[in-house]
Amino acid sequence: MNCLRSSWLSASFALAAIAVTTSSVSAAGWGTVKGRFVYKGTAKPEKITPTKDVEFCGKHDLVDETVAVGKEGGLQNVFVYLYTARGKKVDVHESYAAGSEAKVLDNKGCRFEPHAMTLWTEQPLEIRNSDEGVGHNTNGQLLVQNPKFNEQVTSGSPITKKFSKSEPIPTKVACNVHPWMSAFVLIRDNPYMAVSGEDGSFVIENVPAGKQDFVFWHEAKGNLKDLAVGKGKADRKGQVSLEVKDGETLDLGEIAVTSAVLGK
Amino acid sequence: MLRNHAFTSATLLALGALGCEQAPPPRFHANMLQMVANETSDGYQQEIANVLGAMFGTPDEPFAFPESGLNQNLLNLAAGSAYADEQGVSHGLYRRHCVHCHGISGDGQGPTARFLNPYPRDYRQGLFKFKSTYNPAKPTNDDLLRVLKNGVPGTSMPSFSLLSETELDALVEYVKYLAMRGEMEQKLIQYVYDELGEEEVEGEDGQIVIERTPLDPTANAEQADVIKELLGEVVAAWQEAGDNVITPVDEAIPADDRTPEEIAASIEKGRELFAGTRANCFTCHGPTALGDGQTTDFDNWTKEQKGFLDATVQLRESIAEREKSGELTDDERAQLERDRQLLAQREQVAASFYPIRNAIPRNLRKGVYRGGRRRIDVFARIHAGIPGTPMPGAGAAAPGGQGTLTEEEIWNLVDYVLSLPYEPASGPQPALTANPEAIVN
Repeated sequence: MNCLRSSWLSASFALAAIAVTTSSVSAAGWGTVKGRFVYKGTAKPEKITPTKDVEFCGKHDLVDETVAVGKEGGLQNVFVYLYTARGKKVDVHESYAAGSEAKVLDNKGCRFEPHAMTLWTEQPLEIRNSDEGVGHNTNGQLLVQNPKFNEQVTSGSPITKKFSKSEPIPTKVACNVHPWMSAFVLIRDNPYMAVSGEDGSFVIENVPAGKQDFVFWHEAKGNLKDLAVGKGKADRKGQVSLEVKDGETLDLGEIAVTSAVLGK
Repeated sequence: MLRNHAFTSATLLALGALGCEQAPPPRFHANMLQMVANETSDGYQQEIANVLGAMFGTPDEPFAFPESGLNQNLLNLAAGSAYADEQGVSHGLYRRHCVHCHGISGDGQGPTARFLNPYPRDYRQGLFKFKSTYNPAKPTNDDLLRVLKNGVPGTSMPSFSLLSETELDALVEYVKYLAMRGEMEQKLIQYVYDELGEEEVEGEDGQIVIERTPLDPTANAEQADVIKELLGEVVAAWQEAGDNVITPVDEAIPADDRTPEEIAASIEKGRELFAGTRANCFTCHGPTALGDGQTTDFDNWTKEQKGFLDATVQLRESIAEREKSGELTDDERAQLERDRQLLAQREQVAASFYPIRNAIPRNLRKGVYRGGRRRIDVFARIHAGIPGTPMPGAGAAAPGGQGTLTEEEIWNLVDYVLSLPYEPASGPQPALTANPEAIVN
C-alpha cells in the first residue's frame, strides 16, 4: 500500500513540474476579440413584487434580470470566456498584471450589483451590503471547484473572498432572505473573459494568438448551443473555435441571439 | 410502483419455474440526474460505471482504493449482505441498519425514503449539515459518529448507540466511502463533459459517423493521471476536515458560574441580535421564532432536482412550439428528434423524484435540535451556518477570518435560542419590541 501511495504521489509531482514549464513559455503574440450581442426577440422584464423588507425594497422598481436587453437591442450579461483544457495554464499578458485589486459584488437596492461579473483568481472578491438596515446573506453554495460559502453580510463590514480555481461555468450567487436576488460570477484562473455590457458589446484584449476555443454562456439557457458566431456555430458545449492573430482585432460583429438559442 | 410490483411477481414466477436461484447481486445506481443533465451518452455512462467499479468495487465487495485512505476492514464489515457469523459478529451493517432509507448507493432513495419527512440524506454530494467544522469543510469522523449515536432529533434518523464502537466506526467509514464515490462520480461526469465527447463527423463516403474518445484510464495514461488527481481532490477535502474544526476562543466562552442576572443579560443581548438585521435571524425563523419567516426556499438537494424539473418543462414547451410551427428545415427536424429523445430521458429521471418540499426554518420554540442540543452544537450552527440549506454562517468563514458577529455575540444568541422553548409563546412578545419596523415588513 505504501509503495502504491508513493508512486502516485511522485506522479503528481511530475505533473506539477510540467505545468510550471509550460506556463513559462511565452505566447506567440497577442490579439483582441470583440463583438456585440443583439437579441432577436421580445424581452418584457417582469416586475418583481418584494415579499421581504417590502417597504425598503419596494422603492427600487425591481425587475427580473434574466434576459436584460439594453441599448439598440443589445443583450446584456452574456459571458464570453476562453476554454482551457484541464491543467493547462494560459499565458497572461503583462497588461493584466496591474488588475489585481478587489472586484466588488454589492447587495444594493435589494439586488446584486453587478448582476453578472467576472473574477480572475488573482483578484479578491469583496462582498458588500449597501442597504443600511436591511440584512442580506450571500450564498455561493453552487461553486464546484472552490469552497462553497454562505455568509451573512452587514452594511459597513464587507467580507472578502479569494478563490484559487477556475469554475467551469458562471456560478449563481443568491440571497436567501430575498429570493428574487441572484447574480452570476464567473471565476477563472486567467483574465480572458468578459460580460456583455448595456449595449451588448464585449471585448477581450491581449489574448494569446492562435486557435482558441471560446465559451458563450447566458443564464437563461446555460451554454449557448447553436449560437451563430462569425462563420461558425457554437457546439453543444457553447464553444466556438476562433483564430486570434498577433496584433489584430478579431471583430465578430453583431452576434444575433435568437429566443430559441436562449430556450425562450 | 405498480410497475415494480408487476416486475417482482414476474421475477418470482420466473424463479419458480427455474427453481431456487440467488437474486442478482445489488449494484450501485448511476447518478442519472447528473448524467442526463450533462447529456452523458450511454457509452460514457457505462465507462464511468467501469471506472467507479475499478476504484470503489461493488456493494458486496467494496474496494478501498489506496489513495482514498479508507480502511478496507471496516468497509468489509459494513458492506455485503446482512448476517451474523458463528461468533455472533454482525456483517453487512449498512444493509441491516441504513439501506432501507439511504439506499444501496447512498442516494437517499431507499424503499422507505418516499414516506419520510424530511427525506433521508443523499450522501453523493459529500455535503453534511451537522458538523463541527467551517461551512465548506467536510465533517470529522467524530461528527458523523455523533449523528449515529444520537440520531437526528425531529427526523426519522434514530440513535444507533446500542451498536459497538467497531460497528459504528465501520458505518462511518462506509458513509464516507459512499460520499467519496458519489463525489467522484460527479467529477467524472464533469470531466467527460468538459474534456471528452462524441462528435458527429462526416466520413469519406458521406456517411455520418460518431467519433468519440473513450473514457478508459487503463489504455490512456493521461486520463489515469486526471482521475487520480480528481480522487486526490475528493480525498484531500476529507483528510483536511480535522484542520477545519471551529474552536471557540476561551475568552468569549461564557463562564460556568454565571449568576441568573448575567444569564438574563446575555439572553437579552441575544434577543436583540435575533431581531436585528445584522444577525438577521428573524427574517427566516420569524419574529416569534416559530420558523415561519421564510418558508418558500429550498435546500441544495431539492434545488438540484427543481432546476432539473424546470429545464425539463422548458424543453417540453420548446418542443411543443416547434411541432406547431410546421415549417422546419432538415437540420431543425433532426434537432427536434434529438430533443425529443432527450426529453424522454429527462422525463424518466424526473419521474423518479419524490415530491418537492420547501426547506422550512426550524421552529426554535420546540426545543428539538437536529444537530444536537449541546451549547457547542448550537454555537456551531450559528457560526458556520448549515451547509446545503439557506442558513448562512454568522461567524468567521475560515480559520483566522472575521465574522459578521463576534463569538461573544454568537454565545448571546446561543443563550437566547436555548431559552426560547421555556418562554411562553403567547402573552407578551419581547422580541417584537426590539426591531418593530423591520419585523412589520
